[in-house]
Amino acid sequence: MTADSRLDAPPLSTADLDDRQPGGVWPPTPAMLAEPTDPHLAAAQAERLNAAWALPRGWRYITAVNNAEVGKWYALAAFGFMLAAGVLALLIRVQLAVPDNDFLSADRFNQFFTMHGSAMMFLFAVPMFEAISILLLPAFLGTRDMPFPRLSAYGFWCFLIGGFFVLGSLLFDAAPSSGWFMYPPLAIEAEGVGSDIWLLGLSFIEVASIAAAVELIVGVIKCRPPGMRINLMPLYAWYVLVVGGMILFAFPPLIAGDFLFELQRSMDWPFFDPERGGDPLLWQHLFWIFGHPEVYIIFLPSIAIAAMVVPTAAGRPIVGYSWIVLSAVGTGFLSFGLWVHHMFTTGLPSLSLGFFSAASQAVVIPTGVQIFAFIATLMVGRVRVILPTLWIAGAVAVFTAGGLTGVMVALAPFDWQVHDTYFIVAHLHYTLFGGMIFPVIGGIYYFYPFITKKKMSERLGRWSFWLTFAGFNICFLPMHLTGLLGMPRRVWTYPGDLGWDWLNLISTVGAFVLASGILIFAWDLIRPKRHQPLTERNPWNAGTLEWAHEVPGQAWSPRSIPYITSRYPLWDQDRIVQRMDAGRFYLPDAPEGHRETIVTSAVDAIPQVAARVTGPAWCTLVAAAFTGGAFILPTFKMYVPAVLCGIFAIASVIWWLWTATARIPEREMRDVGLSLRLPTYVSGSKAPGWWAVFVTMLGDATAFASLVFGVFFYWTARPDFPPPGMPHADPGLTAAAAALLAATWGATRIARSVHRAGRVRAARALLAAAPLMSLAGAAALVGAVWLPGLEPSSHVYPAMMWALVIWTTAHVLCGTIMLAYCLARSLAGRMLPRFDADLWNTTLFWHFLGVTCVVTAAMIGLVPRVM
Amino acid sequence: MHWPHRYSSLWHMIAAPIVWAIHFCTVYGWTAAVCARADAPGAARFGTGLATLVALAAIAWLGWHAWLQWDYRPHDPRLHDVPTTEARREFLGHAAWLLAGVSAIGVIFVALPAIFIESCL
Amino acid sequence: MRAALPFAALAFLAGCDGRQSVLSPAGRDAEVLATLFWWMLGGAVVLWLMVNGLMLYASRLRPRRHPKHLAEWIIFGGGVAFPTIVLAGLLTYALVQMPQQRAPGQGLTLRVTGESWWWRVEYWPDGATEPVVAANEVRLPAGSRSEIALAANGVIHSFWIPALGGKTDMIPGRDTRMSLEPVASGEYRGQCAEFCGASHAQMAMAAVVMEPENFQAWLQQQAEPAAEPATDEARRGRGVFLAEGCGGCHTVRGTPARGRVGPDLTHLASRVTLAAGVLPMERQALRDWIRDPDAIKPGARMPGYDHLSDADLRALAVYLEGLE
Repeated sequence: MTADSRLDAPPLSTADLDDRQPGGVWPPTPAMLAEPTDPHLAAAQAERLNAAWALPRGWRYITAVNNAEVGKWYALAAFGFMLAAGVLALLIRVQLAVPDNDFLSADRFNQFFTMHGSAMMFLFAVPMFEAISILLLPAFLGTRDMPFPRLSAYGFWCFLIGGFFVLGSLLFDAAPSSGWFMYPPLAIEAEGVGSDIWLLGLSFIEVASIAAAVELIVGVIKCRPPGMRINLMPLYAWYVLVVGGMILFAFPPLIAGDFLFELQRSMDWPFFDPERGGDPLLWQHLFWIFGHPEVYIIFLPSIAIAAMVVPTAAGRPIVGYSWIVLSAVGTGFLSFGLWVHHMFTTGLPSLSLGFFSAASQAVVIPTGVQIFAFIATLMVGRVRVILPTLWIAGAVAVFTAGGLTGVMVALAPFDWQVHDTYFIVAHLHYTLFGGMIFPVIGGIYYFYPFITKKKMSERLGRWSFWLTFAGFNICFLPMHLTGLLGMPRRVWTYPGDLGWDWLNLISTVGAFVLASGILIFAWDLIRPKRHQPLTERNPWNAGTLEWAHEVPGQAWSPRSIPYITSRYPLWDQDRIVQRMDAGRFYLPDAPEGHRETIVTSAVDAIPQVAARVTGPAWCTLVAAAFTGGAFILPTFKMYVPAVLCGIFAIASVIWWLWTATARIPEREMRDVGLSLRLPTYVSGSKAPGWWAVFVTMLGDATAFASLVFGVFFYWTARPDFPPPGMPHADPGLTAAAAALLAATWGATRIARSVHRAGRVRAARALLAAAPLMSLAGAAALVGAVWLPGLEPSSHVYPAMMWALVIWTTAHVLCGTIMLAYCLARSLAGRMLPRFDADLWNTTLFWHFLGVTCVVTAAMIGLVPRVM
Repeated sequence: MHWPHRYSSLWHMIAAPIVWAIHFCTVYGWTAAVCARADAPGAARFGTGLATLVALAAIAWLGWHAWLQWDYRPHDPRLHDVPTTEARREFLGHAAWLLAGVSAIGVIFVALPAIFIESCL
Repeated sequence: MRAALPFAALAFLAGCDGRQSVLSPAGRDAEVLATLFWWMLGGAVVLWLMVNGLMLYASRLRPRRHPKHLAEWIIFGGGVAFPTIVLAGLLTYALVQMPQQRAPGQGLTLRVTGESWWWRVEYWPDGATEPVVAANEVRLPAGSRSEIALAANGVIHSFWIPALGGKTDMIPGRDTRMSLEPVASGEYRGQCAEFCGASHAQMAMAAVVMEPENFQAWLQQQAEPAAEPATDEARRGRGVFLAEGCGGCHTVRGTPARGRVGPDLTHLASRVTLAAGVLPMERQALRDWIRDPDAIKPGARMPGYDHLSDADLRALAVYLEGLE
């Protein structure tokens, strides 16, 4: 037996192995797949399965967590927010239709353009990706649901609350008005609650985005159907993986920035105040480290939709699968080297600008590969023109134009001319419409029969396309020229003698034509289709698994989870749909009435576990509402209620975890079908929960790294950092904190081992001691900056030290709660040596936290003395 | 040919772009620090050149291994779309090789400013 | 450059007034960038037609199966080889341009500070120990590269005169710089390019390029104290100016008015525009502005003087009009 086939087929004879290893037959033989199922047995199984996955009825419907429901709500909410932001755009265009207009006041105009950008980015573009992925990814992967359905629901409710809060501020004339980029000092000095609404409301939504990213990454890595090796994944899954990773590294710097910004807004800590050693440019760095990858976070998933549509239109597999993977991964990386191209005019050294200019050019290569792979597929295939391809073709036409102007503005000297002009407005709308709106609408036409089992109108679809396409170009093509003629962005009015007037009028007309196209689409989307017959099952004759879903749709999604041997199973695999329907494949039954899914290995998709997934619950709604309170109330300086909300939010999350996760199963092994027996409980790196902690903590570590970057940034940017004569953190207390927290980390790790070895009492003793040490460590850390009298509002140096301490202390408190939770689980008999996922996850958290603590101690105790 | 287990890892595939990222951060951080603290463009350019050589060597090494893992045969091109460990391993090799190519182009592009820009202005 | 022609025609139609246009360059840097733009536009149009033509060809005109190796060459050629070569060339050109456009100026240095929402301008000729102070207007000698030092008070602004060259941000707490080399004398317009609050749209300036000898004469004249009021009405206006406390914010050299909060008004009437490029330098505009600045520039820091009688207001305007 070679090394390869050992990976292929783990020895699955159960007799001589630990009975928690998978057992039975893997992979299934063709003869097993061809064996018919017993119809009576199958009917009984179907009934049980349906009961397990049924949606809650009546008003309890809102407690549903099924990905199809949550995805639909998510998408509709994001689309609604998009329409609202679109109305703002129309009002902006009306104001700019003629020179010296007074349709809107300056302040209202500024609120509108700020909210237009913020809402399109935070309430539409990124959430739409999450919505579509939650809706479709499980179907692409032939599974029943996301790995953490309640987390999706929680994320959705957070998003909805945050979205209404942020957009609602417009109605009270209290919206942020400093631009979607919120540059300090302007946004810091802005009066009223607008800036706070932006900072807190959108941070809240960013948290929801990260939650979705965690879930999608784990979904792709651990919840693929058996046999779907990484080289057989649908391209969409590759993009989800890349985009999820990008969110993890892009959003946390902004959250760190928001954290510093809000500390300055509410406590006057001078991070961005040059008078006290701060620097407004730090915000620009943190914002654009988020902001540029964000553009690709929006673009890649939409192109991923195209990657699902194009092979169907061409009637053949995609050409250059590896090339597209290269393109997705390459774009994901390179897009992090572009952020300063939003800062070309800030006077950084030419050398630095050059690096970013170069990376901005290099990113064209993977993007180009992407487009040419589509063209190649269309060339090799026999193309059927279906409505979705019209939208995709429109997307390519618009996006290539935006890409070509992108090459222009990536050249720093040329950008010095057109930066912050309407040329950029044109460029960015070309990339975002071509890279997002057109492919997403094309995708909705394509997937509508899958989602609703009805069809959208071909005629309305064509009307909508041509109006949108024409209106878009009438609106935005002239803007290139408007910008070249010198019109800056974000001006609420302009004089009539500079040649801008008629160009603006054309743009306004175009905007309304564009809006009419979108409106027709919206009508087609929501118009009642009760009398329309159900669509056929695979209307486009596509090859991927989502079209295996039954018509009418069933709550169980696929009747059984297939064994996959092809990139296009519906084209290549023998009678796969009939066998799925017949319950021939995996998990055709829910004997205990639980919702379950198959967890597979990350690369080769070898089945590992039959894991339970969570069902409908109120706790997600309650947790989202209290989380909302904790973020929203500080906007109005209601700190005590906010803290109470935070406590209740934590309590409801603990309740949710306590009652629904890491439950000790009735049976340790489960027959999942096709003679395969899988364990029902795992801990450690085979468990989706462990992966979720790992992925979350990567994002968390990025946010912390952004704070550390801040310290070094001040050191390079300001000659007086740290200022001479300023007190430093107390070395003794810093060392004590580092020692105590490192000891907690060690105790946690040892507790996991001794617990696994069955020495429960020793583990409990360690788990009881660890929280005490961590709290003492946190106290020492705070004391280290408090006792020497570091006054955070006096200068940015003490403020930065305090920020690090607060960040770390908050995490230590969280880690302490987790330790106490493990102790309580053990005492309550819910965590046993063989069922110890909670302790594994807590240990993993502490691995990250331990590093954070040690780095923090070094950053406050050592580094400033060296500087 | 015997392939150790790690060739099944996704981390392996993205090693070259990680080298690009480290190179980018090093070059940017070094230049920012040297230009701000010492106004020494010579040191900035030299450091960039050095980092570039190291990065290109690393990418070449990774690319060579990826090429081997891909196991390219010009007369028998494969699509890596069959459900075997070989196909998966060769696919990861192919993708890693392509990524090494793009990373090398990225590193060279990022090094160009150090050739043409002689000051910290 | 046939592809660029329609766009050029459009630019001509629109750009009858090219005072603030990237496409009507009057400075060395702007000329280079305008030429670069036309070349890039030509290339972009050709490439756009090729990509989309190929797409149309593959999906509509010839929707039949093409050989696969051709398709793979298209991915490699179109996606990797061609862009790598073209982009390396473009990038190199831009990298060579960058230090040239940022080259240090010779002789004159301007210090421009972005205020809300106007420009404080100081002229420092070579070797000067104190500056000639002006506001809201930038004058430069043609034919030489002038250094421009930038700062900001309060919030970020961006200094931009499209006809002469690119822009650079003015950031509180940071000293940024740029340089401009005008080639053709004339009157141009600049505007703040970084969003800076309520009246971002009303923060513009006149940019006047003069022949070097004219510039020297003008600078000498600007260094003089203010002209004495010539008429009774103007003298009355000066009285109103001082009595109303205008000197708390404004300087008029040669009078007790020494405020540094607002623009220096010593040679106000010698400027082309009023209120940072927003109003013409006319008596009626002066009166409107003084009566209610907020109506013209939302959020303006200057209070309104609507309590002044018509006669006082008129006298004030006449006085200011005389500050040439």
